[in-house]
Amino acid sequence: MLTGCKTTTPIAKSTAYKGMYDEKPLTILLMPPINRSTNVEAKEYFHSTLNVPIDNAGFYVIPPFLSMEILKKESAYDAELFLNSPLTKFGEVFGADLALFTIIHKWDKSGLEAKVYIEVEYIIKSTKTNEIVYTRKGEITYDTSISTGTGGAFGALADMAISAINTAATKYIDVARACNAYTFKDLPAGKYSPNYGVDGEQIAGKKEFKIRLNSNYKY
Amino acid sequence: MRRIIPILISTFLLASCTTQKSLYSWGNYESASYNYLKNSNEKSTQELIEAYQKIIKKQKGTRGVVPPGIYADYGFLLLQINKTEEGKAMLMKEITLYPESKVFIDRILKMAEK
Repeated sequence: MLTGCKTTTPIAKSTAYKGMYDEKPLTILLMPPINRSTNVEAKEYFHSTLNVPIDNAGFYVIPPFLSMEILKKESAYDAELFLNSPLTKFGEVFGADLALFTIIHKWDKSGLEAKVYIEVEYIIKSTKTNEIVYTRKGEITYDTSISTGTGGAFGALADMAISAINTAATKYIDVARACNAYTFKDLPAGKYSPNYGVDGEQIAGKKEFKIRLNSNYKY
Repeated sequence: MRRIIPILISTFLLASCTTQKSLYSWGNYESASYNYLKNSNEKSTQELIEAYQKIIKKQKGTRGVVPPGIYADYGFLLLQINKTEEGKAMLMKEITLYPESKVFIDRILKMAEK
């Protein structure tokens, strides 16, 4: 309902993400991504790339491997079950102020054009109030044909050096990274960031966006 | 409102200039994580250990400290490969650096003792 309300005037982050500014959260739990796409691999691409941008924004992300283990032990690994239910328990077990749900709606590869079409929705909820404090949904077209030797040269070299991983996986990790980075550009700064508490007047990104990205995308 | 918008835009532009340098440096952490998540074999374990060590020893982020969760996940991985003492020491480092981690690290230590 809320997402259907489109507006053209810029909204300040302190208004768009009011809950984040009111509650002053520090810790955030990454729920295992919910994969509704036809690509089974998509879940791992997102799972292994979500903590970096959120830590870089100044939050404390509950260590991903450690939280995965606890969630499995507590039979809470299927995030779908918690999307619409109280999150108080996650607050108690992990000390998490927030929980991030990532829903991969679409991850389609087009072989001929070397493009990936992604539809991904990010929902951050407060474990205290259960309210959504941040949400964005993106339709992203990522062109994988523009790659090594340009913008992503350093990343590509570093990735090549680590051998064990195949190039296709490396490419798709970059796709997930770009989706996360683009979306979370407007995430309010967390306590470990020098921008904490002073970024409320910056403009929030659109709740629903369409964007074309490639490996030249800098973040 | 007319006056507010240019201010909003300029603060946004300024902010995007200052965010050029990250709070933390990560090296090849993401692909090493992915590989371990996918395979959990000896090679990917070793690769992830090296990624953690690099983040710890060669941290180039603006905060100049190890990013959240790295000591903890590194310690947790060490526990799993039976380097128990070294693993526990890393978990304790996470608590020292990030006291907010104590609640779930205590839990994982209890789970490890079982």
